[in-house]
Amino acid sequence: MEIFQIIATPLLLTLKISVIATIFVTVLGILISYTLAKREFPGKGLADVMVTMPMVLPPTVTGYILVILLGKNGVIGSIFTKLTGSGILFTWQAAAIAAFVVSLPLMVKTTTAAIGAVDRNVEEASRILGRNEFETALFITLPLAKKGIIAGCVLSFARAVGEFGATLMVAGNIPGKTSTMPLSIYGAYQTGNNELANLLVLILVVISFMTIAATSKLGER
Amino acid sequence: MTVEVDIEKEFYGRKNRKKKGEKPSFSMNCSFDADSDFVVLFGCSGSGKTTALRCIAGLETPGAGTIKINGTVYFDSRKKVNLPPQKRKIGYMFQENALFPHMNVRQNIEFGLKGLSSMEKTDRVNEMLGLVGIEELEFAYPDELSGGQKQKVALARALAPNPEVLLLDEPFSALDTVVRLKLRKELRDIQKRLRIPVIFITHDPVEAFTMADRMAVFEDGRVQQLGTPEDIFYHPKTRYVAELVGFSNLFDNALVEGHGNGAECTFLWSLGTEITAPYIERKAGDRVSWGIRPENIELVDRKNMHIIRQEDRKNLFDGTIMNVVNKGTSRIMSLILKESEDVLKVEVANHVFDSLKIGTGDECMVRLRASDMIVF
Repeated sequence: MEIFQIIATPLLLTLKISVIATIFVTVLGILISYTLAKREFPGKGLADVMVTMPMVLPPTVTGYILVILLGKNGVIGSIFTKLTGSGILFTWQAAAIAAFVVSLPLMVKTTTAAIGAVDRNVEEASRILGRNEFETALFITLPLAKKGIIAGCVLSFARAVGEFGATLMVAGNIPGKTSTMPLSIYGAYQTGNNELANLLVLILVVISFMTIAATSKLGER
Repeated sequence: MTVEVDIEKEFYGRKNRKKKGEKPSFSMNCSFDADSDFVVLFGCSGSGKTTALRCIAGLETPGAGTIKINGTVYFDSRKKVNLPPQKRKIGYMFQENALFPHMNVRQNIEFGLKGLSSMEKTDRVNEMLGLVGIEELEFAYPDELSGGQKQKVALARALAPNPEVLLLDEPFSALDTVVRLKLRKELRDIQKRLRIPVIFITHDPVEAFTMADRMAVFEDGRVQQLGTPEDIFYHPKTRYVAELVGFSNLFDNALVEGHGNGAECTFLWSLGTEITAPYIERKAGDRVSWGIRPENIELVDRKNMHIIRQEDRKNLFDGTIMNVVNKGTSRIMSLILKESEDVLKVEVANHVFDSLKIGTGDECMVRLRASDMIVF
């Protein structure tokens, strides 16, 4: 039964972190993408760059910046400590934040393009038919951008599952606590446990395959 | 219906962001009012018709001015009134149907119905489907429909919420001729039945003439002439309007020589000769422009000169046929005039042309009736 434990713990942890990160990425990503695609405001270019940065920065750099922000004296870390009484670094929540930050750009890039590609006349038709901007976004723009949004979610989820560098820096590699699948694979390989590494790799490949398959099914609808 | 529009708007380059000291790339300053049922905005593409319509719909905000429909103020820059599109009770048809591709015909038409029970919605949609005659397409999706059917759905959708005014932006321009003629008639019938006022955009002179109660001719963001279709087509006031409605023979710089007795005609010096034209209130020595439609120029058979009465033997021109284009039912000849070497376009019905046995290079004589000419 021990081998089951060794595999199930990182697997469930990875899924928990990835699903939570993807939910936040989806909600926030849609809001950011809609704003970037539809609104003109000062500093829009800068906002776009800020969101996209983690996509091009080396994960260790993203991780390092997160360590500073999430540390006891960091902007986010100090608030978290005040609220909960304990630090956020080296917890699964920190790993989820890392996964969120690195996968958000993928969501924003895909969704912004998809929202921008929706025929403007169709949205205007909705406004003229008595619907305000929120209703128009909800019933017209987002449904028509559905394929792009789904693609963004999948890419983000895949990126979150595979997150390694930034996670290692903010959450460490604590077995049973923050050791996600990629970190466990690295650990197994380092300690010469190739059998375990093979098994974990196989599971990740299967998950990735299933994700892609599920997406193409969703996209067909 | 009463429409009162008086708006200004300036556009600056790409993305319409004004840089310091930049001149607008396009400026609109249009004002028209009408109290008719069917108003047509007529002009070339890029003349500002669509912008004016979008301003009325609230899709664009004018820089300054007022828009009032049936007494309701939609926009007033001084009083800071600017109703959003969803508050403006209008129906709008786009050039491309702009149907919701992810909804079927019924859902498309139902989309604008708010605050009704589902029974009332169903009834209203059925009524609209019947009105435009597409009951059998109820559950079809837009990509399964032909161009004409799509525009019928778009019309039904626009009319469903019972708008105060219907705005149509060249709704039939992408359709083939047969469907276009049919839909024009159907739109006119529906408009009369529902008594809903319509503002209609077109660049097609025939469409404008056959549909309009009142026309506004747009050029470069400004209304050049406002009037009944007859006014616009028979008495254009500017060179641009004249050209647009088919006066392809236009000549500038004609010298006013004097007037016939009792202000019945004006004598002009143009094309190297004296021309008898309709009366215009100008002094001798003034310069004016004049024009005539190619289809109003008459070919004169020299052998039959004796038939023409003496007093009608004026405005006669000799010329050489430079080229002939067959339009199907008539031919357009370009005639080089002997006196001045100006080119006159003459449209002749095919049976007349054939009976005269003339062709490129031949000489012929034409007559311009004063009553068909315009002077401005």
